[in-house]
Amino acid sequence: MSDFVIERVKTGIPGLDELIEGGFPKGDTILLAGRAGTGKSIMANQFLYNGATEYDEPGVLVTLEESPHLIKRNMMRFGMDLDALVKKKKLAIVDLSPSKEATPMKIGEYPSFDLSGLEAIILNHVKKLGAKRVVIDTLAILAYKFRSRDILREEFFKLAANITRADTTLILTSEIQSQHDGLGVFDIEAFLASGVIVLYNEMISETSRSRSIEVLKLRGSKHSSRIHSMRITDEGIRVWPAEISTGV
Amino acid sequence: MADDAEPKKSPKGEDEEEDDPVEVVLFKSDSCAFCPRAEEVLRETLTDFGGGFFVLKVINVSENPEAAEEFGIFALPTTMIGGVSVTGIPEPDMIMKMILGAKVSSKRGASK
Repeated sequence: MSDFVIERVKTGIPGLDELIEGGFPKGDTILLAGRAGTGKSIMANQFLYNGATEYDEPGVLVTLEESPHLIKRNMMRFGMDLDALVKKKKLAIVDLSPSKEATPMKIGEYPSFDLSGLEAIILNHVKKLGAKRVVIDTLAILAYKFRSRDILREEFFKLAANITRADTTLILTSEIQSQHDGLGVFDIEAFLASGVIVLYNEMISETSRSRSIEVLKLRGSKHSSRIHSMRITDEGIRVWPAEISTGV
Repeated sequence: MADDAEPKKSPKGEDEEEDDPVEVVLFKSDSCAFCPRAEEVLRETLTDFGGGFFVLKVINVSENPEAAEEFGIFALPTTMIGGVSVTGIPEPDMIMKMILGAKVSSKRGASK
């Protein structure tokens, strides 16, 4: 066994780092997948918040779905003041959500485009803040915005490679549709990422559900292969590494 | 890098309304392979359409990412006319429709 040690980026999410050898491998692309309401956005924002407040690693949040106003409000519920981080230049929130008023209405699309605009927008903030963490929430929305999925697939590869080349760790959230077995709407999300985390919120009886988390893949890591209990507490997401979930 | 296509003054009859040129905005980047062709199509189409009706503004997102972020435009090339846009190399017919649409809505706006 080699002595080579992969540099890790701590998530700071209680219990999670223990499952993944101390954190995500630095500079990797991690897919955070789950059905609606499983806690993907909370976990992704917590990754950014902890990075900025505990590890001096500024972050960039690219929101393609929810408006910044709602994200800030929802995270404040867990005691995470994103506005304060923005003011301190520890966090940039890039609003590419449909609620943005200045965005023109798209009336046509030809299969001859790329996502170099998205890349330029993100890298601009990465450079300005010296960001080490980037979250794109959520890939799924692009599948509804654009018809040319083949282009999007190829462009995601390029985008992820160019963002992580800037020495940043990238989290992509992906929504698993309810009647679907894959990990996202493009069916390629798992290949794109070097790590895949899946969140569950399954019914365990007629009156209750149980939250859990699975590290499906994490290259270069001896990660847990079990499904662990997870809860959304007043301080955000918490994982119980010793507790094996029976709910999935 | 924002250019150009100076709108030409068209002769106006006494009863014609004052016509503001329509702004046509092309978002492109240095690394976008389709952008040069999109710009060519736009310039050719606008030349065919005749001067005086439009101004073409080219925004290079590699140099000015803030402009793309402001308008929420991240797929390139994107052509924006009035409140609508098309992504990819546009067809001349589509550009014409967008310009005419912008003209109609600006006239409606002016008559209100």
